[in-house]
Amino acid sequence: MTGPIFPGSSVKAASAAELRFRLDYPLAPSRGVRVVALDSGAELMVRKVAETPWTKAKFFVAETAISTQGMHGGPVEVVFRSLDGAVALLNDELEDVDSIIMVASSDYGSEAAATIGAACAVRGIMTAGLVHGDNTELTVSVLRPCAQVLLVPADGSDLEALLIALRA
Amino acid sequence: MLRQEINELLTQTGPETPMGDLFRQYWIPALLAEELPENDCPPVRVKILSERLLGFRDSEGRYGLIDEFCAHRGVSLWFGRNEENGLRCAYHGWKYDVTGQCVEVPSESSNSRFCSNVKLKSYPLVKIGDILWTFMGDQDKTPPFPEYEFALVPSTQTFTSKRLQESNWLQALEGGIDSSHVSWLHSSGLNNDPLFKGAEGNKYNLGDLKPHFEVVETDGGLYIGARRNADDDSYYWRITPWLMPSFTMVPPRGDHPLHGHFWIPIDDENCWVYTFDYQPVRDLTAAERQAMKDGFGVHSENIPGTYIPVRNKSNDYLMDRDAQKRGETFSGVGGIAIQDASLQESMGPIVDRTKERLATTDAGIIKARAKLRKAAIALREEGKIPEGVDPAHHRVRSASVVLPRDQAFIESVPEKLKARPGVRQASV
Repeated sequence: MTGPIFPGSSVKAASAAELRFRLDYPLAPSRGVRVVALDSGAELMVRKVAETPWTKAKFFVAETAISTQGMHGGPVEVVFRSLDGAVALLNDELEDVDSIIMVASSDYGSEAAATIGAACAVRGIMTAGLVHGDNTELTVSVLRPCAQVLLVPADGSDLEALLIALRA
Repeated sequence: MLRQEINELLTQTGPETPMGDLFRQYWIPALLAEELPENDCPPVRVKILSERLLGFRDSEGRYGLIDEFCAHRGVSLWFGRNEENGLRCAYHGWKYDVTGQCVEVPSESSNSRFCSNVKLKSYPLVKIGDILWTFMGDQDKTPPFPEYEFALVPSTQTFTSKRLQESNWLQALEGGIDSSHVSWLHSSGLNNDPLFKGAEGNKYNLGDLKPHFEVVETDGGLYIGARRNADDDSYYWRITPWLMPSFTMVPPRGDHPLHGHFWIPIDDENCWVYTFDYQPVRDLTAAERQAMKDGFGVHSENIPGTYIPVRNKSNDYLMDRDAQKRGETFSGVGGIAIQDASLQESMGPIVDRTKERLATTDAGIIKARAKLRKAAIALREEGKIPEGVDPAHHRVRSASVVLPRDQAFIESVPEKLKARPGVRQASV
């Protein structure tokens, strides 16, 4: 067994005094976070959180999942509506994105959730699911197959905390 | 990341701070019972939540936790004589009982009432299981005694140790919530450690390095379920309970004991880690108990006569690069507890969370911080008693189970996550 490289060096290296020598430069914000409300109950919560100014987060409501074999390299597409009414497509919105957060309060958006989850898995994009409201068992079953992490239950403050933590 | 003001709110636990007030709503470990082993034994210095205190046990076996310093001239009562139902200051002989009441001032006349007006601040100190617990909040609002299962089973079924960790309590706690590091930092322990090895679940743990998480809110805190692929059509779930403010349990392995931790702030830059193992339905074997004393499992090997780990930052945790290269340890540091401590201490005494780069898989940590912050603010602004004070919240267990892929742990095994006397733990 080899001994310590510098006897006691961790004592100094881990001290409060040494904290001031850590490199100080701004970390880049997230490349992008997309928050998608999968149903009307979720939309209310998402709209409220979207009132806060965010640097890299964009907010959508999932409208319909449609078959578009061959388009954008994905098997299906989801039509999003931004909170000010503009139409967007899932595969376009996944460019330059680190994380997708899906918010659901029912099983209404199960098809959209499955499509989003599959598209993110292909691209290596992190996925989170927030289960909003009381209908947790049904909603969890919708989100589980397509999200790497679920918060059960979750409200607007959880979404806000997650976005802050992700530097969105 | 976390905003600086929230990091300060969560990490500062001294008197009058929001998080300090929150901790003072709970019964928390102050000492191991072995530290005051007999009547009139030597007193012990205790620092918790940035308060300097002294624990002692009087001639009739009563425990006391009082201000460390004599009211007369500020001398430390650690130098005092523990005799005839009181602690006598070595300087001028003032004597205090376990409530901090001064009962004798030798320089005053025998019929003087002077000492009746002299009382040191004190807190209750109560033995439950292997731990001496204290409640440092408003004594008029003392909650019922704690009911954690490890402290209530017969002494033959439980073992508790403690160690010093030279970091803020929160970064230590967060390691207890973060299940994904096990497959990396502790990977060798799953094969080698006598309190971990041999479990069926270990192969699933090591076979799937990208766990999925479900973070479920409960009355007292959270259940953090980590699922990994098991055999066809099933998932291996490891379910970690976190109870507010700083209690966690580690999911068990095979027939090995259940275990977990309390993370108790000493001050803002140090904490005590109380570590327990227990079997709900059988005695610990001699081999299990010896392994715990030797620092295996989640315990640490300490310098004899102290609670300071043998592997500590003054010796670079006895880093062994050759063992690391041979694959005996992942980080080069031996022992699961110190593998955690070495990395958490390397962050600095209080990690700067404005600089961190979290991922969605850190949702358990993010949620726990949010619950602590909300509870501290609700206590301060509304006087709301926080979750985890009610002893009913304490009756939880960790679990490891294999479930069909379409089943959620919280709906499928809720009874397995409750402490049930006489019922074995759910463990794979």
